[in-house]
Amino acid sequence: MALLTVKNLSVGYHTRKGFLKSVQGVSFALDQGKSLGFVGESGCGKTTIGMALMGLLPNNASVTNGEILFEDQDLLKMSKKEIQQIRWKKIAMIFQAAMNALNPVHRVSDQIAEAILAHDADISIKTAMKQVESLFQLVGIPPDRMNDYPHHYSGGMKQRAIIAMALACHPSLIIADEPTTALDVIVQDQILSAIKDFQNKLNISVIFISHDIAVVADVCDTIGIMFAGQLVEYGRIEDVFYSPMHPYTQSLLSSYLTLNKDVVQLNAYLGKTPDLINPMTGCLFCERCTVAEATCSFRAPEWVKISPTHKALCSRCK
Amino acid sequence: MEIQKFVLKRLIEIFVIFFVILTVLFLLFRLAPGDPVTRMVDPTMTPEDAAYLIAQLGLDQPVWLQYIYYLKNFFTGNFGISFHYGVAVFSIILNRLPNTILLFSTSILLSAFAGIFLGKIASWHKGEKIDTWMTLGALICHTLFLPWLALIMIWIFGFHIGWFPLNGMISPEIWLDSSSGFWLKFLDVAHHMVLPLATLFLIHFGSYLLLMRSSMLDTLKEDYILTARAKGLDEKVIRNHHAAPNAALPVVTSVGISLAFSLSGGALTETVFSWPGIGRELVFAVSNSDYPLAQASFLLIATVVLISNLVVDVLYAYLDPRIKY
Amino acid sequence: MTKNRSIQISNDNKRSPQKSPMVDRFLEGWSVYKESLIGKIGLTLLVIFALMALCSFFPPMIDPMYHPMTGVDPQISHSTSPSWRHWLGTDFIGRDILCQLLAGARIAFMVGISAAFMSILLGTTVGMIAGYSGKIVDTLLMRLADMIMVMPTLLVVLILSSLFGQLNIWTIVLLIALFRWPGVSRVIRAQTLSLKERPFIEAAKVTGASHFRIIFRHIMPNVLPLSLLYMTFRVTSAIIIEAALAFLGFGDPSTVSWGMMLQWVWKTGHMFQAPYWLLPPGICISLLTLSFYMLGRAMEEVLDPRLRKEVAQE
Repeated sequence: MALLTVKNLSVGYHTRKGFLKSVQGVSFALDQGKSLGFVGESGCGKTTIGMALMGLLPNNASVTNGEILFEDQDLLKMSKKEIQQIRWKKIAMIFQAAMNALNPVHRVSDQIAEAILAHDADISIKTAMKQVESLFQLVGIPPDRMNDYPHHYSGGMKQRAIIAMALACHPSLIIADEPTTALDVIVQDQILSAIKDFQNKLNISVIFISHDIAVVADVCDTIGIMFAGQLVEYGRIEDVFYSPMHPYTQSLLSSYLTLNKDVVQLNAYLGKTPDLINPMTGCLFCERCTVAEATCSFRAPEWVKISPTHKALCSRCK
Repeated sequence: MEIQKFVLKRLIEIFVIFFVILTVLFLLFRLAPGDPVTRMVDPTMTPEDAAYLIAQLGLDQPVWLQYIYYLKNFFTGNFGISFHYGVAVFSIILNRLPNTILLFSTSILLSAFAGIFLGKIASWHKGEKIDTWMTLGALICHTLFLPWLALIMIWIFGFHIGWFPLNGMISPEIWLDSSSGFWLKFLDVAHHMVLPLATLFLIHFGSYLLLMRSSMLDTLKEDYILTARAKGLDEKVIRNHHAAPNAALPVVTSVGISLAFSLSGGALTETVFSWPGIGRELVFAVSNSDYPLAQASFLLIATVVLISNLVVDVLYAYLDPRIKY
Repeated sequence: MTKNRSIQISNDNKRSPQKSPMVDRFLEGWSVYKESLIGKIGLTLLVIFALMALCSFFPPMIDPMYHPMTGVDPQISHSTSPSWRHWLGTDFIGRDILCQLLAGARIAFMVGISAAFMSILLGTTVGMIAGYSGKIVDTLLMRLADMIMVMPTLLVVLILSSLFGQLNIWTIVLLIALFRWPGVSRVIRAQTLSLKERPFIEAAKVTGASHFRIIFRHIMPNVLPLSLLYMTFRVTSAIIIEAALAFLGFGDPSTVSWGMMLQWVWKTGHMFQAPYWLLPPGICISLLTLSFYMLGRAMEEVLDPRLRKEVAQE
């Protein structure tokens, strides 16, 4: 039985210019201990999915459709108090290192201990601090840095501290939103190893959100490609990576120059981002698609099952 | 260790600024029209007394030597004799200083705390009625003319309703009566302090409230607030423990910046309420052409501003861990 | 699967004929300003006060007894409450209070705007020079600014008046300007520092423009909106300082300002009996201050788009 099942999730934002459909009809499932990656360009809705799972959508956002079943309970139907209890204890989040995710006026150890104390009424501060110490050891930060303030930490250290904080309450699911963006490649590698490490050791499910498909490929079992709020391809990492079906996935993959292949023509595309306030009736990728047909512009594509573990939303791939 | 270095560095800076002020004042004193001697030494004094004072102040010396005398006198506390009171200026201003400090520091602390507290609440209820009323109230109070507000306060609460004394700091009857205990005297001063304190408070808390409110609104958009929410913390905890300490920092800075303005306001308040402080002494001295007293009062007020600035800076450095000395 | 595709750049942004950029910016600013309630109230109040100031010339022309300073009513020589003859009553020697109020509006605008203008002129120039020159000049100027900023302006003018005697209104204006410029200069300096690095300044340098030219032709137009914004705040402080000075008795005795009116009420002991005399000047000072403040806040919204009503984030 899956840990998390999302059915037909649709989320939008009320803006001055109209209702912006940020996520449209996204469905996926995740088992305990497995990892799922969401890849897409800016504005494709992947962060919105992460926020919706945590119940952290801003005030002008609404979930217009769908269910989020976590451990068989619909998160969307829960009260504020229930969600507060689930947050961090069951589902935690790792934010971007570049973000100001840590409060500058409180010590790092205090902030992590706070998470522990908030979800365990019986624990003493001393015990909580001991746990913080072991968390620091887990992620590889020297324990003598525990009582420092966030601005004393380097980017990589901050990210480790954020990971430590996410692990503090032993959640079942961690949502990592661009955790390696803005870090240099060496540190990126270290962080990714750390994530893979705790995922295996602690059997935690991970949802990895990134615009970088290479990073996702490194960490995840399953991958979902997002475009304009829709899931356009979904499957095991080997399937999607080696036989991408959707034209968007193909262009994403071929945007990378590899060192061990011949130089291929870069498949760059130009075009405006699709209008999400009044989306067209056909395939949203139509304008940029290299293999589009006439029917693509007015007939919405349907899911095509390429294999039991691989599907794509495209009328052209059969 | 580092904070002491910081304080030392700032004290040196203050010293330099003070030195510049002293020098500029001295130059202006020499440049001003009229006879410098009669300005500093009361012409109605007996010739012997006058001669003694002139020698002490070095007014019969060449200019550059006068400057030396001037500095030396300043640092030894010799400011001359007040025309009006006929006693050493030093003793007068020493007597007045505590009164000003009492009123001034109490009003700043009260309005800062109230401004921060109410501004925080206003930001919680942004857009609601309570916010609109608070913001409007703060705005109106902030733009009231201080002396006028003082007069209105006296008129309504002192004259009409009669709850508070019309002026002064003490009731002579109580203080002259040798059987009055400490608490009675304390309460008496407090009773006299209510109206001037309320006036200063109303004028100043408004700007702190508005600043705290907008600071809170900005802070609540920060990423670490999102983290705090994601941790499942209660909204109250997030606002008070995570947002407010960060949001209050600009308000502390603002207190430091507006210290000069606050002292001007203090002087006005003291004058209207006849509160025996340095500000009032300065105003009276200028009206009475009592230059020795005026000069000393002004310099003392400048010192108060500079030292208060230092205190605020140290406080800010203590509150914000990101500050490196 | 991969096709070669020629890159097409669509040119659907046809340029509309350009009006003068300054007018454009002003109109755009005005449309944002209009949306602000605070701005509209502030502007309305200001217009009312401006009208008051203009009207101040008329009453003495109607009848010399309405002159604010010298007007003496042959029938009244003490303070009276409002009547048909004197809509706000008379002061302690029988002068009409309403005329004084109108004259005060005129003085307030005059003092406020001139002092603000001068301090902005000074502050902007110093700020631009400091930001542009950097190093020693910058440090020196900013140290000077710090020293001046620490001084309570009101008290400085007091001590100066003890040295130099009764001050004339224009001297007061000048002194206020001399002590209020530091606040603006810091902000302008910060703006200049960030502008200094922009490519168009580099381009100007490369084409051989002198420093003077760069500062005044290139940097100044870009800091000007900020200067104007700060001018509104300076007006309020100038008005308050002049009023406080007049209240304490150190204003120019030949000008009738609102502060002066309050001084008369207070010193002649009419505080408790003459609300018609006590209330109007104070209310006017406060309202005028409020209206300039509102103007400033609304302008802030125009100049800093971040302060405008929020647009949804992604």
